[in-house]
Amino acid sequence: MFQSLLTRRYLVSKVMPLLAAVAVALCTAMVLIVWSVMGGFLTLLISSGRTLIGDVEISWPVVGIPHYERLMGDLQADPMIEAVSPTIETFGLLGLATGERRTVRVVGIEPASYHAVTGYRDQLWWQPLVEGLEGDTGGRDLRNTHQPEMAFYLEEGSRLLEKDPETDELRPAVVVGTQVSRWNIRDPAGFLVPLNNDFFLPDREVSLTVLPLSQAGVAINVQSRKLPVANEFTTGMYEVDANYVLMPLDVLQPLLNMHAGRRVSQGGSGGGVRVAVDPVTGEESFVVEASGEEPARVTNILVRAVEGVTPAELEARVEEIYFGFAREFEDAPPPSLAANWIYVWRDKPGLSSFIKAVEKEIGLILLLFLIVSLTAVFLVFAIFWSMISEKTRDIGILRAVGASTLGIIGLFLRYGLAIGVVGSVCGLALAIVIVDNINPIHEWLGRALGIVVWDPATYYFTEIPARVVPWQALAVAAGGMCSALLGALIPAIRAATMDPVRALRFE
Amino acid sequence: MTMLDEHAASAASADQEPLLRARDVRKTYRLGKVTVPVLHGCSLDVAPGECVAVLGASGSGKSTLLHLLGGLDRPDKDSGPITFEGGDLRRMGGRGLDRYRTDRVGFVFQFYHLLPELDVLHNALLPSMVRLNRLAFLAQRSALRERATATLTRFGLGDRLRHKPRELSGGERQRVAIARALMNGPDVLLADEPTGNLDAKTGASILDALMAYRAEQGQTMVIVTHDSATADRADRIVHLHDGKVVSGAPAF
Repeated sequence: MFQSLLTRRYLVSKVMPLLAAVAVALCTAMVLIVWSVMGGFLTLLISSGRTLIGDVEISWPVVGIPHYERLMGDLQADPMIEAVSPTIETFGLLGLATGERRTVRVVGIEPASYHAVTGYRDQLWWQPLVEGLEGDTGGRDLRNTHQPEMAFYLEEGSRLLEKDPETDELRPAVVVGTQVSRWNIRDPAGFLVPLNNDFFLPDREVSLTVLPLSQAGVAINVQSRKLPVANEFTTGMYEVDANYVLMPLDVLQPLLNMHAGRRVSQGGSGGGVRVAVDPVTGEESFVVEASGEEPARVTNILVRAVEGVTPAELEARVEEIYFGFAREFEDAPPPSLAANWIYVWRDKPGLSSFIKAVEKEIGLILLLFLIVSLTAVFLVFAIFWSMISEKTRDIGILRAVGASTLGIIGLFLRYGLAIGVVGSVCGLALAIVIVDNINPIHEWLGRALGIVVWDPATYYFTEIPARVVPWQALAVAAGGMCSALLGALIPAIRAATMDPVRALRFE
Repeated sequence: MTMLDEHAASAASADQEPLLRARDVRKTYRLGKVTVPVLHGCSLDVAPGECVAVLGASGSGKSTLLHLLGGLDRPDKDSGPITFEGGDLRRMGGRGLDRYRTDRVGFVFQFYHLLPELDVLHNALLPSMVRLNRLAFLAQRSALRERATATLTRFGLGDRLRHKPRELSGGERQRVAIARALMNGPDVLLADEPTGNLDAKTGASILDALMAYRAEQGQTMVIVTHDSATADRADRIVHLHDGKVVSGAPAF
């Protein structure tokens, strides 16, 4: 009984235990913030990766997959598959009205099916907000202030079409990542403010240049086309938002010579180009004779599983379906290597190694911070050692009135635990406040002190993606309490084994 | 055992079994590599209801004797027994001695030894809190508070219950220490220089209060002191000199 009373009184009567609690709080907060940021980073990375490609991707770059409509039909018919979407990925040169030229990743998509697989419509930035942004107190977020236009942009962006202002005709358009133009400045509240204080991209038209390749990988003719910008998208992943341009698949296919057409071969059996002589006039001319039909191609097919089917199960099923497809079409990509180019989203080349690296980094950083946090144990230990010296006479008094050695150990362990509980709870609260406001804090640090810790170009995401996971918070809090207990253990044993007579005579 | 020890031991009432008995008690302290014998063959009997004063100069071993009688310290291995109601304290384990200190004896020290974080009432309640587990204490809380309040009031502290020790005078602190020592109703009150840190007048008033309590309750007491005026208030005086009990006129 005396332990709880003395623990309460000791806790509030001295500065030293409060210092120990502060040390525990800071260490707890530090570990939880690091874990939350790194965990949030990984979660966002994974979710962005999944958003980009769905659950499983079939990828046969450059050459593309012929007869893909048939393959998609086979896939779509399977009960494990929710949606399928064809895409083409290639590199291109983007020209802005400002004269800036830059290389980009061009992705040709079918908007409806692409949305079904990836939720593309939700990634469009310029669309009406369901709820107003809390931080936008000055009404600077155009999505808040221009709701009617936003509904219009959402519609255009989700169909990759734009109405020509002169003819009112719908024409194909592109949707670019929000960081592609570098005209969008991030407000501390989290929304984007275009530099021209108008809507996205000056003049809202870009030129796109792509390089079609033959099936042998030889460049043919550079193709260029001007396209209006219908909207901008954001995945939150800087690498994607700064480098990707989406355009209609049926526009990109002809630019890359991947559309359906006649096959013309030089020499060989049938077809080709020959010189014909007009029997009447005697004039000579070139005649192109087709040797067959060349099917349209796409480089990627994205597949989304129905709910309850795991990506791994889906991958196996997609491979199975593909084998059936490949048996029917000789010109299909070789099924023997299917494992390399049919993969679940986590194994996408580039993404997979990055996710694994981040997972390892999280483990390493946590370990380092846990080691740093051991200082809390030593701090509590030092403070308790000193406090027990100060409380030596109290220990003698307690022993004189009959307190047992276990009772004395219990008193100081309880005291250590109380410091751990107070410190951990304060640390948790501090971490939650910081994690919840980490981006405004970061913006403020950048503005006021010029400290930019999170460079989006380096860390992939435009915002620091921190979030507190309850079980992690509890684990860190438990760790903080254990640290305090551990720090108090040896001083508590020392106190309990102290000779009561010497303790009473201590000065 | 010396003749003088025999004499001192036999001073207890002949028709009563001693409550507390020490025979040929030895205690040596080690200070680094040096051994310092403090008690070398000390004997004492204390009868129930008796008030014995142990008179001796500083360093004569009287506080050590008191600590041994109270189970706060252990005698040497070659020491004779210290018995309470016939039970040998040497044979008690740590838990047994803890219970002995909680239930059977109460200590009063020269420097009061109150816990500075607790107020007067809680300092007095401390032995009960040590003795009882949480549930038992909570079940008896009202009765215990009443008892502590009554004891403190008896010693003139009824209006100081919520005061911290630092807000009290020396005499008041010692009264709190006495109330604390009496809280669990001990069989023996062991007082180590209870007036040693007080002026003569305050010291006398403390002794008056103690003796009045004894007269009323029949409390057995052992008072250790170097002050013959204090010792004179006891039923019997035992002189301790150089670690041994002597009788008659002090040897110093």
